[in-house]
Amino acid sequence: MTDAPSRLSEKSVFPKWIRGPQDFIGGLALVAVGAFALWASSDLQGMQGFSFGAGTAPRIFAVLLLVLGAVLAITAVLVDGEPMAKFHWRGPLFVSLAILCFAVSIRPLGLIVSAFASFLIAALGTPETRWKETIIVATALTTACSLLFPYALGLPIPLYPSFLIR
Amino acid sequence: MLDLFSNLALGFQVAASPVNLGLCLIGALVGTLVGVLPGIGTIATVAMLLPITFGLPPVGALIMLAGIYYGAQYGGSTTSILVNIPGEAGSVVTALDGFQMAKQGRAGPALAIAAIGSFFAGCAATVLIAVLGAPLTKLALAFGPAEYFSLMVLGLIFAVVLAKGSVLKAIAMIVFGLLLSMVGSDIETGASRMTFGIPELADGLGFATVAMGVFGFAEIIRNLDTGAESDRQLVQQKITGLMPTRKDLRDSAPAIARGTVLGSILGILPGGGAVIASFAAYTLEKKISRDPKRFGRGAIEGVAAPESANNAAAQTSFIPLLTLGIPPNAVMALMVGAMTIHGIVPGPQVMQKQPELVWGMIASMWIGNLMLLIINLPLVGIWVRLLRVPYRLLFPAIVVFCAIGIYSVNNAPMDVVLAGVFGLVGYWLVKHDFEPAPLLLGMVLGPLMEENLRRALLISRGDATVFVTRPLSATLLAIAAGLLILAVLPSLRRKRDEVFVESES
Amino acid sequence: MNLFVRLLRLGRFTLAAGAALLTPALAADYPTRTITMIVPFAAGGPTDVIARIVAQHMSTTLGQAIVIENVVGAGGTTATTRAARATPDGYTLITGHMGTHAAAVPLYPKLAYHPTKDFEPVSLLAGTPILILARSDFPAKDLREFVTYVKASGDKLNQAHAGVGSVSHVSCQLLKSVLDIKPTGVPFNGTGPAMNALVGKQVDFMCDQIVNAVPQINGGTIKAYAIATPDRNASQPDLPTTTEGGLPAFKAQAWNAIFAPKGTPAPIVATLNAAAVKALDDPGVRKRLLDLGSVIPEPAERTPEALGKLVEAEIAKWTPVLRDAAAN
Repeated sequence: MTDAPSRLSEKSVFPKWIRGPQDFIGGLALVAVGAFALWASSDLQGMQGFSFGAGTAPRIFAVLLLVLGAVLAITAVLVDGEPMAKFHWRGPLFVSLAILCFAVSIRPLGLIVSAFASFLIAALGTPETRWKETIIVATALTTACSLLFPYALGLPIPLYPSFLIR
Repeated sequence: MLDLFSNLALGFQVAASPVNLGLCLIGALVGTLVGVLPGIGTIATVAMLLPITFGLPPVGALIMLAGIYYGAQYGGSTTSILVNIPGEAGSVVTALDGFQMAKQGRAGPALAIAAIGSFFAGCAATVLIAVLGAPLTKLALAFGPAEYFSLMVLGLIFAVVLAKGSVLKAIAMIVFGLLLSMVGSDIETGASRMTFGIPELADGLGFATVAMGVFGFAEIIRNLDTGAESDRQLVQQKITGLMPTRKDLRDSAPAIARGTVLGSILGILPGGGAVIASFAAYTLEKKISRDPKRFGRGAIEGVAAPESANNAAAQTSFIPLLTLGIPPNAVMALMVGAMTIHGIVPGPQVMQKQPELVWGMIASMWIGNLMLLIINLPLVGIWVRLLRVPYRLLFPAIVVFCAIGIYSVNNAPMDVVLAGVFGLVGYWLVKHDFEPAPLLLGMVLGPLMEENLRRALLISRGDATVFVTRPLSATLLAIAAGLLILAVLPSLRRKRDEVFVESES
Repeated sequence: MNLFVRLLRLGRFTLAAGAALLTPALAADYPTRTITMIVPFAAGGPTDVIARIVAQHMSTTLGQAIVIENVVGAGGTTATTRAARATPDGYTLITGHMGTHAAAVPLYPKLAYHPTKDFEPVSLLAGTPILILARSDFPAKDLREFVTYVKASGDKLNQAHAGVGSVSHVSCQLLKSVLDIKPTGVPFNGTGPAMNALVGKQVDFMCDQIVNAVPQINGGTIKAYAIATPDRNASQPDLPTTTEGGLPAFKAQAWNAIFAPKGTPAPIVATLNAAAVKALDDPGVRKRLLDLGSVIPEPAERTPEALGKLVEAEIAKWTPVLRDAAAN
């Protein structure tokens, strides 16, 4: 119970021997990514004489990442480092939902609906949102986008829901 | 020399015709717009506008397409500085210090110096094309696979040097980027690598998708964290002057000059040269600065140098096209398409056979750069005012703009989803103090590095010594090794110092 | 991730179902809206240029705009897969070529479409002859010397190509099998970089389409040994054919043609074919195609049936060549 005050305030869940939780977890995650990539590229062909196979470079990089991640994690045990930063859920959740909403709705529902809906969902990401002004801005932005992208730039983006077109 | 003047006179005569001036302006405006809109890349725009140019005379068509190309280089810096979203690989570095300047209320000077630096670089590079275009072509031809591989290694070392924090973490991020770049089809065998059966991954992860995710979306998510509000309000209250001060200009002038030189040389190299140029310019400034700690914390040289470099490179990348008829990158390939459609076959003889075309284009580049400066300086005020919009309204708009931009690249909803995923990855990286810039550079250079390594080894029949026996390649590797030592030494020394301090106390 | 994919598929399914329900198959009115022409390669490439020149004229005949959509990737097979799965209503077409509609069959064992089973042939557009090219200081004087030299060199020579499945790769596989040589194939990311390497003398020789090669030959930066067509080409009149040079077995031409998804109503195919044939008879279109070094098909070769036969013949021609290559 002699943790540094900064650790106490973060309610660190990490045992004391991890002296730099931020890098420890970061390193472990890289190890995991490296291992995953190694598995994902395991079905690819390796070296053939002096010529590289499709899997050679991915496996080299995966192993490198694994090693670097491990070194990072080990360093975090040996040397004092930063505590874990605090993650929040509201921003990530609603911004991701807004992006997902756009991706799913752009083809069947068109730009007008999906841009407007995504704007409103994204706005849920902060408690500061005042709905009246948000809806006004969302309307203005949707109008601007509908004029800018398909007309001014000539991008082949559907504007209206596909069931309304024909 | 006389030849040069008569050629340039011919060029200006062509470029200054009202129609061509108008087309140049349209190109510059569209380019700026495209550069500012996140996600919509130059390649996509030039491809989209290509059919429109069919109806134009060939010179006019090329002038307009060229305008879009370098206009987008100007515009690309705007989003990097204002909202930390690099639209192109070349503006990733600009975001490092540019966005920090914006946070300190100095978005105006940052944008202005980017425009001024780009203008200077554009002018200088145009002269270079006119004077030295033909001899410089030899450089592009002297670069074989071994040289390219060494250049890519050097490029990756730049990413280590420009990292603010731990060298180990920067290297880890580069490797992560390299690994991400492996996703997609293998060029040699066509085998699909780590695509998990998702058809949208067959051609790999797009630069726009990942950049928008780890820079754009991640930045937004991070700004929404509770406790970040005070930070943001500070940005809005602090906005000071719009134009750079005399001291800013004095600080950036040499950086602009150095950036221009580096950019002009690297721009000639087909494939990747232009990207490496901006990283190289930034690294150079950081290394020769008396106070390298300022970099990454809003140093104006950190904006001036890479912006000049990428604009100079954008101009000189026309050299292989104009002198050899070989397109060095995807945008130039489209230009070749535009020429062939007009019945002009670009090749080694195009300069003799179509002087009005080549010199008209060169002259129009200078005029276009001037136009861009005139367009962009007044825009600085408007862009900065945009920062005063309350964040609660600004961020959903950025989310929607980015989503549309990413969708428009391939008309693929999956790309938008992937960008969202990379937004979360980027948020996680920020929380663990990993920098996204090295990751992006690794991603851009990864395929080039692998391809050229494989090619070099194929041609040498597996003999890895080609990289050190070919003089150009060996020089590049030596520079890379030197830079790496320079980058690692201070951190080793610092550790020693820390240990020393501890034992003293 | 899987859920996302599924959600997207669901979205697409609803879209397709809606379209099927609401589209009355009115072939008589065709076309009533914009037609999308998929080009499976980047804008500005040989296929793209040919597609654009022809499509521009076709759209005036049809009275509707034809929008070119460039969908790149996986040697053009990504785009071709998409076209094969499109609604067969005549509003989605594809300009395929030798690679996507013939060579892809042996090259990609897991190909998600079949050129004959999933497409209705519409019309052949143009052929682009293949040339045998070498670096400017290559020792051989003519094709005969080239053949002798290459055969004597074994695996010492480097042959550049623009990636597996590209025209330059596929056609050179035929040359290699005809001559029974095994040079080291060096892949590049597209024709531009491959040509750059040849001009820069990083590699020894390659096979490529005439469009890409003519300016370099005229500029003296590379050497051309022969053209792999029965007749000489107007854009390079001094270049002998492979037959003249003593290598009649090497004949290759990259062809480009319009296809519609299988199930497109016959009247629509006929309308499209008529528009394409009309375009190929237009003096302006002909001149632009000939300037590119293209060979314009004779009237008898432009029918859907002739194209169907060509595709079958080409698949039969390339399959053994490329299978052999894959085995090596």
